[in-house]
Amino acid sequence: MSKPSISRKEQAEVLKRLFSYLKPHKKAVAIALVILLLSVTGEVITPYLIKLFIDDHITPRSFETGPIVFLAVTYIVIEVANVVLRYLQHYKFQVIALKVVQQLRIDVFSKVHRLGMRYFDQVPAGATVSRATNDTEAIKDLFVNVLISFVQAIVLIVGVYFAMFLLNPLLAMYVIFVIPILVLIIYLYRKWSAVVYMTMREKLSDLNAKLSESLSGMSIVQAFRQEKRLNREFDEINEAHYSSMMRNTKLNSLLLRPIIDLVYFGAIIILLSYFGIASFDRAVEIGVVYAFVTYITRFFEPINQMMEQLAIFQQAVVAAKRVFEVMDETDEEPRQENTEKRITDGLIEFRDVTFSYDGKTDVLKDISFTVRPGETTALVGHTGSGKSSIINLLMRFYEYEQGNIFIDGVSIKSYSQKEIRRKLGLVLQDPFLFYGTVKSNIRLYGEMTDEEIEAAAKFVQADFIDALPAGLNEHVTERGSTYSSGQRQLIAFARTIAANPKILVLDEATASIDTETETAIQQSLDKMRKGRTTIAIAHRLSTIQDADQILVLHQGEIVERGNHQELLSQKGLYHKMYLLQNGIVE
Amino acid sequence: MKVFLRLGWFFKERQKEYSIGVLMLILVAILQLVPPKIIGITIDEIGDGTLTAGSLGKWLAYIAATVLVMYVLRFYWRKMIFGSSNYLGKLLREKLFRHFTKMGPAFYQERRIGDLMAHATNDVSAVQMTAGSGVLTLFDSITTGGFVILAMAFTIDWRLTLIALIPMPLMALSTSYYGKLLHMRFREAQAAFSDLNDKTQESITGVKVIKSFGYQQNDIEDFRRLSQEVVDKNIRVAKIDSLFDPTISLVIAISYFLSLMFGAKFIVEGAMSVGDLIAFTTYLGLLVWPMLAIGMLFNIVERGSASYDRIESLLETPVDVEDKEGAIAEVPKGAISFHIQSFTFPRDEHPTLKNVAFDLQEGETLGIVGKTGSGKSAILKLLLRQFDQYEGTITYGGLPIDDYRKEQLRKAIGYVPQDHFLFSTSVYHNIAFSDEQANKEEVEHAAKTAHIHDDILRFSQGYDTVVGERGVALSGGQKQRISIARALMMKPNLLILDDSLSAVDAKTEEAILHSLKEERKNATTIITSHRLSAIQHANLILFMENGTIAEKGTHEELMALRGRYYEMYQLQQLEQLVERGGQDE
Repeated sequence: MSKPSISRKEQAEVLKRLFSYLKPHKKAVAIALVILLLSVTGEVITPYLIKLFIDDHITPRSFETGPIVFLAVTYIVIEVANVVLRYLQHYKFQVIALKVVQQLRIDVFSKVHRLGMRYFDQVPAGATVSRATNDTEAIKDLFVNVLISFVQAIVLIVGVYFAMFLLNPLLAMYVIFVIPILVLIIYLYRKWSAVVYMTMREKLSDLNAKLSESLSGMSIVQAFRQEKRLNREFDEINEAHYSSMMRNTKLNSLLLRPIIDLVYFGAIIILLSYFGIASFDRAVEIGVVYAFVTYITRFFEPINQMMEQLAIFQQAVVAAKRVFEVMDETDEEPRQENTEKRITDGLIEFRDVTFSYDGKTDVLKDISFTVRPGETTALVGHTGSGKSSIINLLMRFYEYEQGNIFIDGVSIKSYSQKEIRRKLGLVLQDPFLFYGTVKSNIRLYGEMTDEEIEAAAKFVQADFIDALPAGLNEHVTERGSTYSSGQRQLIAFARTIAANPKILVLDEATASIDTETETAIQQSLDKMRKGRTTIAIAHRLSTIQDADQILVLHQGEIVERGNHQELLSQKGLYHKMYLLQNGIVE
Repeated sequence: MKVFLRLGWFFKERQKEYSIGVLMLILVAILQLVPPKIIGITIDEIGDGTLTAGSLGKWLAYIAATVLVMYVLRFYWRKMIFGSSNYLGKLLREKLFRHFTKMGPAFYQERRIGDLMAHATNDVSAVQMTAGSGVLTLFDSITTGGFVILAMAFTIDWRLTLIALIPMPLMALSTSYYGKLLHMRFREAQAAFSDLNDKTQESITGVKVIKSFGYQQNDIEDFRRLSQEVVDKNIRVAKIDSLFDPTISLVIAISYFLSLMFGAKFIVEGAMSVGDLIAFTTYLGLLVWPMLAIGMLFNIVERGSASYDRIESLLETPVDVEDKEGAIAEVPKGAISFHIQSFTFPRDEHPTLKNVAFDLQEGETLGIVGKTGSGKSAILKLLLRQFDQYEGTITYGGLPIDDYRKEQLRKAIGYVPQDHFLFSTSVYHNIAFSDEQANKEEVEHAAKTAHIHDDILRFSQGYDTVVGERGVALSGGQKQRISIARALMMKPNLLILDDSLSAVDAKTEEAILHSLKEERKNATTIITSHRLSAIQHANLILFMENGTIAEKGTHEELMALRGRYYEMYQLQQLEQLVERGGQDE
């Protein structure tokens, strides 16, 4: 989490950038503003109508039907129109806000898909999800609640003030005195509440952190008999949180509604003094007094509403800042030259490739090898030996600087991304299933027919699908947790086969798979490899005995190479790994 | 409304605050009736031309005095009532936390930490809201609403009051109807949002798959579709949400209209003055809030009541392992004898331990090896008295372990768990966890014994370096060694290392074992491990398989047996060779 405080300059920049999202909705914003203006006009006119009624009819006791009916009808028409306008205006602004937030979300999500794997290694998935959903939701609050009520308030205040000015410019001038006072109150409230509210949020997050840590470490706390101390520590934080809440309560009681009401009555006193003093010399139209009282009441309502939104405002700006940080992330995925070159044979060559994730320690050192079209090369080695890095580079998940990788004699950087993705099929060690059905998991976003999908499932011998109640349409829950790891692996195979790649890249499963499924997987793999160039990471040496070439890696270097028999007879590292896996004790 | 009764204990505790607060609330409800009335009188005097400088000054002074008093009262009742509700929040959190510290592992196995957190935060907030805004809206809507209506009826005109009130129930009815609709649609909107959240989560965890197939663009389209769903569902919310304001103003407008029409009639009849009418309309404005408040009240109370139920049921969960009556307050010491016929975890079908028996003399070391799930950890959990329901006996120093108080039993045992959990505080305080008063020498000594001292000195702030998310990233081996140092600080009679050397290299492991032996000459140690090197020198080794002892003896005896232990030993030798890249040392 980045720090909650934010400088004034940053805040202005964030807001400017947020507002730029309104551009595509220019027309809708204009319409909503016009409706808002109309409804404010209505709100300003009605007190005037009542003034007319009081001054022209009640006071002189003149009740001719014609003008009164006219006034009444006008009043009713305006009020009804106003109800419709207010509804439309409120609704329109909400729709605009929702669309703005949707665009923001899509922009973040699209950006996330352009980021390189390095980003995902460094940033926890939960944080990124938060940027795209929770933080944008906070921005929604900013648009829906804060900005809309600000715009409404400001237009209403201006409109009401304008009406007062038309009715009695001199009195309107007097009333203007309350504005600096209000500005001062808002300024002070904003200044103090920013601090108080932020402290409260901080204390709350301290409280949550303490709670979550204590709950996760409870067994340790109990084993070491530190319950009393923990209670004491928690009490301290709880107390700090309580006193920050109290400060917030006090500040809100001092500066929100109660004080605005005080200023409101101040304005009423100015008004009554003005009319009272004026009445000493001449008759005063009572209707005007009424209209002013009503106007002043309406003037203060939006101010109260606006003040209550100020605290959310700050939080939303901080959330927006975090969202923009993701959008400005520079760690994008490797670029491809968009040439028309095609992969036809599937000849892979690594030439003197040296690679490092962090720019310090090389995880691959001078790796060179060739895989001939249609042949299989297996990579074996201990954890951290560099097997996965070879696959990561071939799949273009990470950019490399030293050495080069060629497919059909052309650098892999020269193929379009589409070509690389279509011709290289990767099967991951831990097959990831998406929420949906078996079929949707095989198809993903591809455009295969149902027959092709069925054929792919048949091809990889995922026969368990037939036994499912709904077959290919069987439901897959989050991460496919209801399927065994072997079944998940077979679905992932079918997924790759359905896409029909020229080159297969396999990261073999290590998870314990029952022997029956293992045989099925082995048979499928053999079938899949036919006619395709294959690079496979093998954890079980038994699965690669027929590989054309086996590369044994240790600490980023190829230490042994050859086929199974050749390597066994070398009696080196491969031989020892073989013994270990077969549990042979010499 | 029953929740107010159930919170009675709290209202009693804060009786003073609540009575003062509510009293002030009622005073404010009365006082706020004064300004409109005075405005009405002043306007009448202006109209009649009877206003003098003196009377104007008097009326204005009344208004000023009233609103100033109101300001002070409003500040204080907020402080009293909202302050008390803040206090209730604090109190409930404290209670929950106390309860959490008493609960054993079974409690934590059944519940997710996220849920427990939600009870201590969201549920507490909802109850807090009931004791704050709930009490406020209850009293305020009744008093303000009541007094305003009374003032209208008695000081102005009761007929006009009745007429003006005719449309008001419409407001309460329609807003509560909208509220219901809104609640439903809002839930749908929340569901759509949660779908979007799940989708994002899935796309990010499965990013490699999507990338490897080059389906980024399609996935963005899918996201667009779901985000459109969120927009559509929220628009449905907005459609209802936008109704509130216009409806309220419509009802008010009707009420105004009726008051003006009939008010005019009454003025002409001489039953009231223009000033009365203006005062009357101001009173009408004061009625909006109580009408809205009643609708809100039901919502607050409903939520608060559900949350309070959850908090209470959590607080009522019994503590699973309690001290026996007459348990002695003595720290156990001496020989351990473990004879278990059978032990099954609560809610499990099959026993985890079957016929496990061993005896350990004081000062001896026991080694337990076996695969995950073979029952190694279960033995330790029973020794630590995390579970009570087993067939058999466990004695320590000649007495069954449940004859001791839990507190004293734990004092005897220094436990280093498998998942080396460290707290996000300094390295120093993590090691001195069991003894805050520990001096620097003691802490450093424990760190040296656990062979972590040199590592700590290399950290940027030495012993003051903060551990955890916001601090230094420690390797698994470093965490394990800090955990060991932490347990050593207790100078326990029995030290338990639950697979806690797995992440340190062979050399360090040997060094730690050596210094433990030096340091704890007459103390008992139990070590479980995957790696045989960690237990090779133990006085007794148990080879666990499927919850029972498969082989038992010293390293030499077990090697001579040429059984499972022997086989495992050979394979581990080979494995070490492979890890070194096939080179002999």
